[in-house]
Amino acid sequence: MRIESENNESIMKWFDEEVRDGENSIIIYPNLQTFRQIYTKYVKDQLSKEDENNSKRNEPSLPRIMLIATFYETTDSVKHHLSAAGLQNIQSLINNGSLVIVDAFSSYYPNVDGMKKLVASLSDRARKEGRDGVTAIVDMGFFFLFGGDGRATELINYEASLAPKTEGGNVKGFSCYHGGNYDTLKDDQKKELAQRQKKVFEVTESTTTS
Amino acid sequence: MQAALVVVDSFLSDKKDKDDNDYRNQSNNDSILEKENSKNEDDNNDKGKPVAKLLIVDDDSDIVQVLKRGLQKNSFLVDAFTNPEEALQSFKSNAEAYCLVLSDVRMPRLSGIQLARKVKEASPSVKVILMTSFEIRDSEFSKVFPSTHVDGFVQKPIGIKDLTKKILSVISETRRRKE
Repeated sequence: MRIESENNESIMKWFDEEVRDGENSIIIYPNLQTFRQIYTKYVKDQLSKEDENNSKRNEPSLPRIMLIATFYETTDSVKHHLSAAGLQNIQSLINNGSLVIVDAFSSYYPNVDGMKKLVASLSDRARKEGRDGVTAIVDMGFFFLFGGDGRATELINYEASLAPKTEGGNVKGFSCYHGGNYDTLKDDQKKELAQRQKKVFEVTESTTTS
Repeated sequence: MQAALVVVDSFLSDKKDKDDNDYRNQSNNDSILEKENSKNEDDNNDKGKPVAKLLIVDDDSDIVQVLKRGLQKNSFLVDAFTNPEEALQSFKSNAEAYCLVLSDVRMPRLSGIQLARKVKEASPSVKVILMTSFEIRDSEFSKVFPSTHVDGFVQKPIGIKDLTKKILSVISETRRRKE
């Protein structure tokens, strides 16, 4: 599915409705600015939705855990952009465990399974704390750092290992690819990435001029 | 600084005439930097003898602009790119003109690691300094990227003064080895 980067509502609808708990999907973004828009909008929408739900409940609950693992910007830069978008309570969200911001490199290196372990631990914590689950927005830039076909195979194997959980899964996973990296893959490699019924969502640069 | 400049200047003197001509003929494909390249080229030519010709690559256009201007003020000739593939193309078309490549590590399309490898393959004598905003220290670099030979490593943010010192020390090292 393709949506222009300026169509924020459609992008968020896709996040909420097309990908369910237990599923992993692929997002291809055209540039870092668009990736920032995606995670910023998601965090804002998710928090306002939780506020709305809590106002209807007698006992407020904690929000989903939101994991943002970036590769082309630092964790401080993520915090800065979230704050600049109007989220004033970033540090308190981090402190209460609702928002987790990491450098994807440190979770993938030296063992790529490090990211899976991190997500699994967040999933366990979400259950213990009575949260709805975890949304993991993870940049896959690490797999393109060294280059070579060996890395593409490792990436394909890694994506294949992210099997959907049809029962009891509480993680929505989004593997995010910079378009410049994704385009370096061969067609058959792109097809292999999307195996296991993974949904592929391509955010394109807007063709309209403002 | 002046002493270091003299050392480097001597090392590069045989390349100067060619560098000057190459620099004037340089066609930079990066539209963001094209105008700036032209303006700063004139600035450079006004200052006389350049120290060395550098290729700067960073996907952040603000960083590229700042580094380019700062290093040009310190008498370097600088070609700058935000697209590493275009940078590599430019390098390969005129590898002997460059003394040193300064590149960010984490860039989409072609990372600094891959770029360094390709630069060394094309021209082993060209020095490569990688820079990053992330928490990988110089001493850890060879463990993390054992197959990539680089001549220096800098942590961003870095001031132009410190960066100039680093570049000069890497270039001067070559001079000392040759002697």
